[in-house]
Amino acid sequence: MLNYAASRIVQTIIVLLVISFIAFLLVANIGDPLAALLSADATVNERLELIAKLGLDQPLWTRFLHFIGNMLQGDFGFSYRTQDPVANLIAERLPATVELAFVSLLITIVVGVPAGIYCGVNPNSLFGRFIMLISTAGITLPNFVVGILLIAVFSVQLGLLPSFGRGTVVDLGFWKTGLLSVSGWRAIFLPAATLSTFQVAFIIRMLRTQLMEVGQSEHIRFARARGLSEARIWYVYAIKNTLLPVITMLGLQLGNIIAFSVVTENVFAWPGLGSLFLQSIQGADIPVIAIYLIFVGLVFMVINLIVELLYPLIDARVLRRQS
Amino acid sequence: MINAATPLLDVRDLTVTINRDGRLVTALDKVSFFVNPGEVLGIVGESGAGKSITGAAIIDLLVPPLKRTGGTITLAGERLDQLSPKAMRGVRGGKIGFVFQDPMTSLNPVITIGQQLCDTIQAHLRLGGSLTKKRALDWLDRVGLPNPDVQFKRYPHQLSGGMRQRVVIALALCADPALVIADEPTTALDVSVQAHILELLRDLHRESNVSMMLITHDLGVIAKMADRVAVLYAGRVAEIGPAGELFNAPKHPYTRGLIRATPMPSATGEMRLDQIPGAMPGLGAVPPGCAFNPRCFRAEGDCRATIPPLYHEESSAFSCFHPLERVTA
Repeated sequence: MLNYAASRIVQTIIVLLVISFIAFLLVANIGDPLAALLSADATVNERLELIAKLGLDQPLWTRFLHFIGNMLQGDFGFSYRTQDPVANLIAERLPATVELAFVSLLITIVVGVPAGIYCGVNPNSLFGRFIMLISTAGITLPNFVVGILLIAVFSVQLGLLPSFGRGTVVDLGFWKTGLLSVSGWRAIFLPAATLSTFQVAFIIRMLRTQLMEVGQSEHIRFARARGLSEARIWYVYAIKNTLLPVITMLGLQLGNIIAFSVVTENVFAWPGLGSLFLQSIQGADIPVIAIYLIFVGLVFMVINLIVELLYPLIDARVLRRQS
Repeated sequence: MINAATPLLDVRDLTVTINRDGRLVTALDKVSFFVNPGEVLGIVGESGAGKSITGAAIIDLLVPPLKRTGGTITLAGERLDQLSPKAMRGVRGGKIGFVFQDPMTSLNPVITIGQQLCDTIQAHLRLGGSLTKKRALDWLDRVGLPNPDVQFKRYPHQLSGGMRQRVVIALALCADPALVIADEPTTALDVSVQAHILELLRDLHRESNVSMMLITHDLGVIAKMADRVAVLYAGRVAEIGPAGELFNAPKHPYTRGLIRATPMPSATGEMRLDQIPGAMPGLGAVPPGCAFNPRCFRAEGDCRATIPPLYHEESSAFSCFHPLERVTA
């Protein structure tokens, strides 16, 4: 188990270094910091001084190590667009996106998992077929359509929920949360529901297929031949065999929402990372884009790491494949 | 020998059909046999003769589109074919244990051996948690696994094939069933392991006096284990009789063909091997009359016209119009 964990962590670090290097190449090769920082009438000497100060005369590898060293000390560089530290920009936007992602994950688990199990256990029931029909819509409708539909119904027609913003935000010092106020919960519901539409539909279909396949297997037949109750067979013996792909998918989806909820955030004017990313692309704000890239890599790698460390707890065969 | 008048399991006219695109095909055609208390009944036949279907039909575990469409199954006076699904669950594992063929696929890969045993015991016997665990450990010991405490916490993938089959046997027997149906219990195993598993089954049978239905295509296994033998051919019973009688003086030409097709050294040490010409008809392709008639050297007009009934003698029965004489060598 220790070996397994160590090898996963080392792999994660290597991948993060590779991502950082690509992001660094982006910063190093696109845009001209000298043009931005020097005045138009600067002398050649001033120019050379600045080059030495920024370390631009150093070889690529030295500059990369410098870049990594700065990041480890919390120095992520400055935005070309606003001149603010990139770290501040991201820290300001992060809570909104993370909260949105977790609430939509919660909806996915609470709605998708029970419905998926129901469809897997009763694939031919009327209600099961009905759920499958609805889930087809969930898979095929694009996010922004779902978002606009929800706004049209719940905000415009019924006037029940707000269509934009985060509601009242409570500042905890290190984190600005919208989850401690009623208006915050009301505001987060529509965007979170929009994001979870696809996930719910996806989890339902995946669980159903997995359960139907496991249900045919010889060990489930043997469990029946031993007189175990149907409830025990499905909810313990079969479900446990479907958990690996399900938590893998949930983890990837969580990463996806944190990193790429650009469209949904835009529809609901949600002040999260997605909107920051969009603004940075429009302003060719290379340092922010680069750091964002590394951040996205970090999010995926950490989620993936957690998921992989969960594997052996569910299926001990994972450890054997390792050795 | 126990009195044959009160069999533990009595199967009469068991019929199983398969629905193939709306066409009903008979997979098992009025199969009748019984198993006495404490007896081992061998069920033998080629692949596709309906051996496994017979076993699965008894505990109502046929895989669709196979379906039981007729006949009666009586276990210790109780009609199994009329039980509700819930009552049937009590029979499975509780009164009839089932040993599956392939230990590599029949154990749940993500649940410990101990948990699988405890769940099975708890489904049938009302014991407390600690007694259940003690019983599970006892069974691991009884089927010959070293260090039951260690095995209890292990997963199937941590055991060898032979060890897994021992676990499968423990799972089938742990709730004290009166009858065990073993469906090709050694077919998926190494030859060296096969002998150990057979020995284990025989020992457990002697200790507990449980009745057994041993389904196999291997006449060698039958000769070692069975008291009586039922020979199945194309979904019908060809012959049933005490093992010794059936091996030494088969009545049905198919039985003799099967015996002669099994490699066995004769007294002089030479190997004889005669194969039966042709192949067994597949599902839905059974010829009219006796199913064996196209391959039979004694077949005559009546064999091709009508299905021969089971002719009963004192301890045996056969389905043939022109049986072999008892004295034929």
